[in-house]
Amino acid sequence: MNRFELLNLLQQTIENELVICNIGLPSQELYKINDRPNYFYMLGSMGLASSIGLGLSLSIDKNVISIDGDGSVLMNMNTLATIGNRAPSNYTLLIVDNGSYGSTGDQKTFTNESTSLKNVAIGSGCKNVIECSGEETNENLQKALADKNNSYVIISKIKSGNVPIKPIPLNAVTIRDRFRKEIGLVSYL
Amino acid sequence: MKISQKIITNLKSGGADFFLSVPCKLLANMITILENDKEIYYSAIPREEEGMGICAGAYLGNKLPCIMMQNTGIGNSVNSIVSLLQLYQIPVVFLISYRGTPGEPVGAQGGMGSVTEDILNTLRIPMLHCNIEEDLDKISTFTNHAKVIESPVAVLFNFNLMEDD
Repeated sequence: MNRFELLNLLQQTIENELVICNIGLPSQELYKINDRPNYFYMLGSMGLASSIGLGLSLSIDKNVISIDGDGSVLMNMNTLATIGNRAPSNYTLLIVDNGSYGSTGDQKTFTNESTSLKNVAIGSGCKNVIECSGEETNENLQKALADKNNSYVIISKIKSGNVPIKPIPLNAVTIRDRFRKEIGLVSYL
Repeated sequence: MKISQKIITNLKSGGADFFLSVPCKLLANMITILENDKEIYYSAIPREEEGMGICAGAYLGNKLPCIMMQNTGIGNSVNSIVSLLQLYQIPVVFLISYRGTPGEPVGAQGGMGSVTEDILNTLRIPMLHCNIEEDLDKISTFTNHAKVIESPVAVLFNFNLMEDD
């Protein structure tokens, strides 16, 4: 299973949860699969999907899912320590770990060699750290969303590889405003 | 504590209700105040760039965030400011301890001290300089200004000011 197939599969689980999606191909693929206003697509600032989702989950009660990548977490590794100490129960970090910098030409990341993000997350204090296959991701995500008392970090181990795709034709403020409308904060759209 | 208390009071009256900090000894009293304040969210975090992401999320969730840091933190955060906060028009108040200003005992702080305003000018981020206690009264309006213009703003307070804290 590659990332496109995994993101497609996740549509069975994700309903009105607020999703912060990683920059580049993950966001472009998600947009192509099933564009929704409760999807916040990152257009810049690689590494910060987990952090944006964390800040959002600390500010509202709804379930928040950050869909991140192994390369992006490696770029902002301190995020796991902050999540381990501060993540509220409505927060889930889903790391799509394909061992590859997919958006820049599939160069291998360190998770393809010696680094285990599962072990880093556990060592950083994260609770409920689950490493699973792509096929097992939906059931684990459902478990995380249903649990009202705990945050989760799910690391979905999949194959690298991308599909031909175009940039997202939405500008940043449009993404922001329709997302905030989903939360009930914008009334003029 | 009087300077620190005045800064926090003005940030809050301007609407800030979500605070993060990356430590600086000039921020120590403010951090103590925030740790005991039940009206707002406060957390320390490990790195400023990460904080820009957390602030962006907090704004999406209807908070007005403030990140407290040394001016060195601006150097750690340039891409996240431009490609996240400014791209999506997200207001965040940067409360910056302006190391390297007169009174600074650590010579190595002079480097970032000398380029901080140039960086903020290049980024077109409005600045409020607090050099004397009376300047602190402007923080409230300036904080609200971030929300009005949907942009990050920077409040810089210098070393000497905190000697009266």
